[in-house]
This record gives sequence, structure tokens and C-alpha cells, in this order.
Amino acid sequence: MSNHDEELTPTPGQRATNLFKRADVQRTTVFGILWTAVFVVLALYFYPKWMPEVMSVDMKSMERIMIGFTIISAPIAGLVLGIATQAITNRHKGDTPPPDGPAVRTNGPVVAVWTVVSGIFCLIAIVWGIVEVNTMANAATTEAGTAVHVQVIGSQWVWSFKYPDQGVESDKLMLPINRPVVFDVISEDVNHSFWPVQLGVKVDANRLQTTVIHTVPTKLGNIDVKCAELCGLYHAYMETSGKVMTTDDFNNWITTNGGHVA
Amino acid sequence: MTTLHNTSTHSRPIPNPSKSLITKLNMGTGLVVGVIFAFAAYYTFRPNADTADFYNQQNKALLAAMLFWSVGFLIGIGAFIGPFRWLIGKDLTAEEQLYLAGDGQGIKRYFKYCTDHKVVGIQYLVGVMAMLAVGGGMAMMIRTSLAVPGGHFIGASVYNSLVGMHGITMIVAMIIVATGPFGNYIMPIMIGARDMAFPRLNALSWWILFTAIPVLCSAWFLGGIPTGWTAYAPLSVQAGPGMNAFIATILIFAVSTAVAGMNITSTVVAMRAKGMKWNRVPIFVIGSTLSVALAIPAFPTFMLAMIQTTTDRVFNTGFYDANVGGSGWLYAHLFWIMGHPEVYVILLPGIAILMEIAPVFVRKPLFSYNAAIMGFVGIAGLSVLVWAHHMYISGWTPTLNGPFMVTTEMISVPTGLLFLVMLGTIWRGKPWMKLPMLGLFAVIWNFLIGGITGIYLSDVPADNYLHGSMFVTAHFHYTLMGAALTGAVAGLAYWFPKMTGRMLNEPAGYIAFWFTQIGFQVLFLGMFIAGAEGQPRRVVSFAAMYKYSNMISTGGAYLIGIGFIILLWAVIHSWRKGDIAPQNPWGAKTLEWTVPYPVPLENFDETPIITSDPYGYGKGI
Repeated sequence: MSNHDEELTPTPGQRATNLFKRADVQRTTVFGILWTAVFVVLALYFYPKWMPEVMSVDMKSMERIMIGFTIISAPIAGLVLGIATQAITNRHKGDTPPPDGPAVRTNGPVVAVWTVVSGIFCLIAIVWGIVEVNTMANAATTEAGTAVHVQVIGSQWVWSFKYPDQGVESDKLMLPINRPVVFDVISEDVNHSFWPVQLGVKVDANRLQTTVIHTVPTKLGNIDVKCAELCGLYHAYMETSGKVMTTDDFNNWITTNGGHVA
Repeated sequence: MTTLHNTSTHSRPIPNPSKSLITKLNMGTGLVVGVIFAFAAYYTFRPNADTADFYNQQNKALLAAMLFWSVGFLIGIGAFIGPFRWLIGKDLTAEEQLYLAGDGQGIKRYFKYCTDHKVVGIQYLVGVMAMLAVGGGMAMMIRTSLAVPGGHFIGASVYNSLVGMHGITMIVAMIIVATGPFGNYIMPIMIGARDMAFPRLNALSWWILFTAIPVLCSAWFLGGIPTGWTAYAPLSVQAGPGMNAFIATILIFAVSTAVAGMNITSTVVAMRAKGMKWNRVPIFVIGSTLSVALAIPAFPTFMLAMIQTTTDRVFNTGFYDANVGGSGWLYAHLFWIMGHPEVYVILLPGIAILMEIAPVFVRKPLFSYNAAIMGFVGIAGLSVLVWAHHMYISGWTPTLNGPFMVTTEMISVPTGLLFLVMLGTIWRGKPWMKLPMLGLFAVIWNFLIGGITGIYLSDVPADNYLHGSMFVTAHFHYTLMGAALTGAVAGLAYWFPKMTGRMLNEPAGYIAFWFTQIGFQVLFLGMFIAGAEGQPRRVVSFAAMYKYSNMISTGGAYLIGIGFIILLWAVIHSWRKGDIAPQNPWGAKTLEWTVPYPVPLENFDETPIITSDPYGYGKGI
């Protein structure tokens, strides 16, 4: 295989300049930047718009990840779509095959750089995820003492909530703001999945097997509680509502429902 | 088997072993014997309505009827004649073997137990198209029901069944969509083989699969499959008689994939033409072989899960019943140990088809064959280590969420290599925008979206929110439908001239392409929004706040529906009356384009000798 580069022996700088003089490279760059911008706009403008109100630390962490991961992947998506778009603008029409392209079978440095860079992006995602998971786990242990305990019971097809420390039962999920909450979730029949949407956490309800999740509500407002695991005929209707309220309101709600403030 | 010393396949007299039983057997005799077996089994195990365990007995009787139907059909169509004759020491004669290969029997051989890999390929193709049509029809009903909030179109019971039936029909169809038609018809020719390694097993794999279709359809008359295709226990143990149809389908299908997987793998290992070293094997062969090889260890766990569901339902064993020490988590593990490799079983052949297409249509070699191999092998290897990412929020050992997050996100590296190969191949080329090539560009976009959203879902905190929502549904449709099915349709457009001798109608193909792809984006981008907003999946009714995203999705679904109807018309019309195709319409270099249409019984008059890989396109640099 003949190699013109070797005959001319350009420096790496010259080679880069020559590369960017090529029309297809320029077009790819422009398309790539445009596509990157599309993904960044999607992340920064549309995601926060589509996702419900951030009402807990976990929802905040989830939103950060959605936006962060999209921004990280934006340049990759830009590169992929930039090359694809460029190829489309360079397409061949007609009923006969196009002229032969260059017989490039591989390009060692490109494959190496691609693999290493995608490995680095992968590592960023992994480390970020691990840090978030550990933060959650640590918060769950350190804050367990001060937490409100809520026993969540799923049965076909209703949710009910018990506050063992306060001696209250309810079919609505009431929570005080800025105080950690621990949900002990269990099912009376098949698998359900307890999903207080705006709190950004979720855990399955299994029969005879308590599962636990933890969060801290950080904003006053209404919560939608749903079931996220197909649980039979009226799965879609297995929902209830709830509220994050001030500590005073929460205590009032406890006492008016016959409980005692713990 | 059917390999003869006689190389001229045209001058042979048509075999007619008129005294042999095999000439009398076909689909009709299979149906008769199968139905007799089914009724006999049901009668033997018939439930007694006066007893307390009536439901257990009913499950037993129905399952027995379904499984005996399958066995009876196979006996009736003559699937076991070969082994039986061998057993009694009167092996099939050469003439009978030629008859079994369908030599000179025209259209009749498609309805018989035919060992010719090309016949099996066409049987798979028609079967898959029928399954996709049925599954797609159910998708249209689901989306119609979800067009407006409140679920007024169909009731909860029918809706839940539709979700389950759509899911399992499409999953089964997608598993065989590429390796069935193209893996059987094209792949042996591609590697220069005269037939598959085990032609009788090849016919067996198709006809076993065929028996699963009426079993699955019977669910409609038995109260449906109310559990979704995941069939989580204990819901599946609680479910009505329709569940038996699901169980029997999986048991039958698992045997079919095992037989097919073993056969395809053996063929590629043992039957390659002289000189076709591993680094000269076409990439589609590599991708589809890895896919079926991955299915071989994956499906037995699903089968085991279903056997345990059966014993729970029939004998109250309690594998999944926490009351007696069982656990629903056991089911979830067994299911996803199959379930995650299975999505790559579906994906790999679709991507491999596009890698086969790209060099032909840009007239350049495949970019970095080695990266493609590493990508496929890396995905196949990692895919067996990631299953519990479906169980982040199940409550099962939260400390293991971290490790499973690591393995899952590592898959992005080999997946990136697949992108590199496709992009590197089209880079600096002038893509010839024929139908197969359009598929490549659509898949680059769809697989990119599917991949990026997969990274969100692999992350535990994000999955805490997104799990079980419409976001997940949209994500896996982008990978399975957007990437794998689009790849398979591109393969159909590419190999249609070889399989039917005619060109696929181009204008209709383009219209179908744009309808399906635009509809696809509209449908599933709408569904991503619904999921991000917090709409759970598999719900018959949803709140008014998700009104617009769902309405958009339904509109997109109808566009897809129109597109696939046009595609179906194009396929049927072109198959019957399309332009006669030249032997090698795309100017490709793989072996299947060196044989004429109709492909001779044993493919090659002289077996080819391979001296290079099939990607020698392009001019020197």
C-alpha cells in the first residue's frame, strides 16, 4: 500500500492543518457543532421543563445526572451525527454503484483514540454514579436516627401508609419538609413498586420482605404516588396523592388524626 | 444428509420415493396429529370442577394439551422419521433424503418438513412477517387506547393482555427476525457451504417455532396474558388460564432457539469453504453467530423460570411464594439472566447486517474489521454480567447496585466500537442511497438515542426515577425497533433480490421508510417526554397532565402503521410481479451474489475457494 504521507513527511501540526482544509472535514465540524448544540439545548432547557418539580435531594441528584450525562454525551452525539450528516450531503444518486472510495481498511491511531476516549467517558459516568450512590447510602445511615418512619403497604390496588412512631394510619402520604424520611415498603400480595414521583425515589413492594428507601423532601407541594410495577387488573389506578408540608402542619395533621407527635 | 457427490444439480431426475411415508406427510397431517394429541392430553388430565384444586388441574390439563400439540404436530409432519428409521436400522435412502430436501417440489415444499436451508429461510421470513404484523396490530390498538387520558377505548383486562401479547409476540419475532430468514437462507451461501451442518435440525427449529404460534394465539381465548411479557411472579402464579399459553410458548420457543443456535454455530464453525479463515468471514456471519451462541446459554434460564412457574401453578410448589420460603426475586434473576443477553441476541445481527451493507454501498472496505469483532465479542461477553440492572429498585441487595452499574456502563465501550466501524466505513465515501443504505443512517440516529438513554437508565439514581416509566419503554423501542428491526428491514431490502429473484419496489420502499422512521421518532420522542414527566408504563389510564405527549405518540404510531402497510404491500407485490433482479444488483463481493436465482439445491456447482475477505472495495490510497 503506498502512503503519500510518508513521502511528504509533514509535521503533526501540518497534518492537522491539512486535515482541516478538507471540505468534508469542515462540513463535518459544522454539522457536529450544530448537533452538539441541539443536545445541550435539550439538556439545559427541555429536561427541566419536562421533569416534575424537584422536591427532594434524590430528585435533584437525578436531574443533575440527566442533564450532566446529556451534556457529556453531546459532543459524542455531535461527532457521530456530524459524520453521518456529512455523508448524506455527499451522497451518490443514480442506479449504478458510486465510484470507488479510498481503500482504507483501518486506522490504528483513530481506533485507539476512539476506544480510549469512550473509555474515559464511560469512566466519568461510572465514577459519577458511584459517588451519587454512596452519598445516598451514607445519608441513609447517618440520618436514620432523626428520620420519620413511614411504613408503606401495597396491596391490589391501593397504597396505605402507617406512621408507627406517631401511631397514625393514612391513605395519603404526608411528609414534613427538610426532615429525612425512611420508607419501609411491603406488599400484601404481588409485586408493586412504590413511586412518590416528585421525590425521585422508587422501590418494589414485595410480599413478606421489607424493602427500604430513604430521602429528604426539600420543597413544599403535592406528591403523586404511583405504582411502577404491573400488578394486575387495576395497576393503572393504583395511585394516591400526598403532600410535603411544614413541620407545624405535619404535627397538626398527626394530632388531628389521633396520633402523637414523636 | 443431503450432500451428494454429484455436482450437477440440474440434470438429476426428480426424486420420487413414492412408497416412503415421508411423501404422505405435510403441514396438514401435522395439524391433524397435533390436534388429536392435544385433545387426548386434555382428556387424560381433564380437570374436575368439583375439587378444591380445580385451577391447578386446569393449568395442568391446558399445559399438557399445548405441549402435546407441539409434539403431535412434529410427529405428524414427519420430523422424527429420520431418527426413527435410523433407530430401527433402516436409514433414509439417498432418494428419500433428496425428497426431504424438497428437490423439484415447487411451492409444496414450503408446507413440508423440508431440510433445504433456503426453504427454511423463506418459512422463517414469512413467519416473522406474520408475527410482526400481528404484534404491530396490537401496538396500534394499545396506542389508540392511549390517545386520550382515561382509557375509554378498551378495558383494563384487555389492555393488560394486549401489552403482554404485544410484548412476547414482538420479542419472539425480533429474536428470529434476522437470524431466521437471513441466517438460514443467506448465511450458508455466504460461507460457501452446501447446506447447514444439520439440515434436519434446521427444519426442526422452524417447525417447533411454528407450533408455538397457535399456542401463543390461544391465550386470547383463555383470558389473555395479564402480566406483561416479563411475567413476574407472583403475579404470573396468580394469573388465569391464559398464562399457560405464555408458559408453553416459552418452553417450545426455548427448544427451538437451542436447536437453531446449535445448528447455526456448528455450521459456521465446521462448514466454511476452503480458505475462509476466521478473519475472512463476512461480518454478518460473525454477528449472527455470536447472537445465536449467546442465546444458547441464555434461554435455558427462562425455560427453567417457566418450569418453576408451572410447578407453582400446578403443584403449589412455592418457588416464588414468600409464604413458604420462596421469593419473587428468584424469578426476576432467572428472567433477566436471559432477558439482558436476549436484547443483544436481537441487536447484534441487525447491526451486523448494516456492517455488511455499508461497504457495498460506499465502495470502501469495512473499516477496522477487528474493531467490529471486538465490539461484538465485548458486547456478548459483558451482556451476561449486567442482568441485575433491571433490579436496582427491586430492593434486592442495594450494595450490589454499584457493581452492576459498572458492568452496564462498560458496555458503552464495545458499543462505541460498532459506531466507529459504521462511521469509519462511510467516512470519505459517497454513500449510494439505495433502500438498504437508508437503513444504516436511520440506525445510526436511533441507536445513538437508544444508547444515550441507556446510559441514564444504567445509572442508579436516574433509574430510581425512570424505572418502570414510559421512558424505559421508549428506550428499548429505540434499540430493538429503531436499531435491530430497521437493520433487519435493511437486510430484507438488500437480500430481497437473492431470496425472491426480484427487486423490491423502490418508490414504495422509500415511502414506507419515511413513514416508519418519521412516525417512529414522533411516537417514541413523545414517549420519552411522557416518561420524564412521570407516566408509568403498562397503564391503561393516565392523568390529564400526560395528554399531549401521549397524543403525539399515538399520531406517530399511526404513521408507523401506514409505513409498514406500504412496506408489506411492496414486499408482496414485488415478490409476485417485481422487476427481475440481476444476479448481483449491488455489485457486492460476498459469496451469496455468485450464485444464480433460483439458488441450486446445493448452492454451488463447485465449492468456492476463498483467498481474501469480501471487503476488497475501493482504490489504493
